[in-house]
Amino acid sequence: MQEDQLITGLRAKDKRTVDYLYEKYSRALFVVISRVIKDHDIAEEVFHDAFVKIIRRIDSYDESKGRLYTWMANVCRNAAIDKTRSKEFSKDSKTNTIDNYVYGLEGTSGTTEAVDGIGVKELITNLNEEQRFVVECIYFKGYTHSEISEEFEIPLGTVKSRIRAALGVLKKNINRI
Amino acid sequence: MDIQSYIASGKLELFVLGELSDREREEVIELSKKHPEIKRELEEIEDAMFAFDDKTGVKPSEAVKDKIFESLSMDLVEEKETEPEPESVKTRPAAKQVMLQPWKQFAVASSIVAFLAILAAVYFAVMYYDVEERFTALLQERNILSEELDINQARYNSLDEQFETLLSGDYERVPMLGESFELQKDARVDVFWDKSTENVFVSVNQLAALEADQDYQLWAIGDDGPVGIGIVKPGEKLTLQQMEAAASAGAFAITIEPKGGSEAPTLENLVVIGEVV
Repeated sequence: MQEDQLITGLRAKDKRTVDYLYEKYSRALFVVISRVIKDHDIAEEVFHDAFVKIIRRIDSYDESKGRLYTWMANVCRNAAIDKTRSKEFSKDSKTNTIDNYVYGLEGTSGTTEAVDGIGVKELITNLNEEQRFVVECIYFKGYTHSEISEEFEIPLGTVKSRIRAALGVLKKNINRI
Repeated sequence: MDIQSYIASGKLELFVLGELSDREREEVIELSKKHPEIKRELEEIEDAMFAFDDKTGVKPSEAVKDKIFESLSMDLVEEKETEPEPESVKTRPAAKQVMLQPWKQFAVASSIVAFLAILAAVYFAVMYYDVEERFTALLQERNILSEELDINQARYNSLDEQFETLLSGDYERVPMLGESFELQKDARVDVFWDKSTENVFVSVNQLAALEADQDYQLWAIGDDGPVGIGIVKPGEKLTLQQMEAAASAGAFAITIEPKGGSEAPTLENLVVIGEVV
């Protein structure tokens, strides 16, 4: 299904289109949330709310301002970050290291997911230490780039170029896993 | 403008990550419309990010999928937005309460049980120590009684023996008195003598206590003169004290001698004397 068909179907609240959307994107979107929220149950709760919100608020999506996945990923990421900043959540979830995340992923999921977990690990080992740090902060701990800059006293420009470099490496290696 | 350096600035990545301000977003959108290189770069970043996300994680559970479509069932059938958030917000805390309630009850119940158990434990511990103490006291008392019983048994045995000896033998009683001497006027000791078996016993009736380095010695006075036949213990009153054998005697007497007795009696220390009738 092409992206414009998909969007038209979603605007029409066509159930088959929503099914298709779910099958294609639920995994990636859930990953976006799981990176920020380690607790599986809470992550699923946030995912439920975020996905429902995506379907209900599809009219606020503007194709001219980016692709559908980017918009959806941002809805999910913001929902997850909002959750971590809510009262129930303390900031100490940010102190976990990337190793905790990767091992946790391998430990709690089934065989196929465990293989993917190793994939993440391999992908990340391709990064140098600085790039890995930035990916860790943004993807796994839910920092924004300006928060990284403030908290770790790295100039904003440096943070940006490291993000770019890291994504460049990931982009190159993504097809190998 | 230098498109390559714009691409290299990292702004496009932040755009995809949703981290740009509205003004910067507008700028990126404008530029991507004008410059196909920027648009292509943007799409590549988006694709990479989706691929990265799609390949690196765990699928949400089927239960979540069912729940999502349940939440959306109204929207999808009616094709209209009806009161979005509240529904899902309402259902979850209710479910949580149902989940929490039995847990709370169990917690309360188990803490009451635990409290009662602690009370009972303390009560029984106190009881136990009390009983233990009384039991120890009883044990000690029992030991004392059993010792006394042993002593009495031994005494009974010796008395029984003496009694038997007296009954079975042919004993003559020879009272020895101190009336005629200056030393102890009121002294009185009885000698029991069986002439045929030559056994001699004494029974102290009244005899004063002595210094530590002195003893009372019993003498059998026969044809060969006085023969020392044993030490008399003044403290053991009215019991039979066995002496050495005496073959012949016309009289018995007791003198005070140095500790352990003497070969010959010290006559000035004569305490009592009694003649065999």
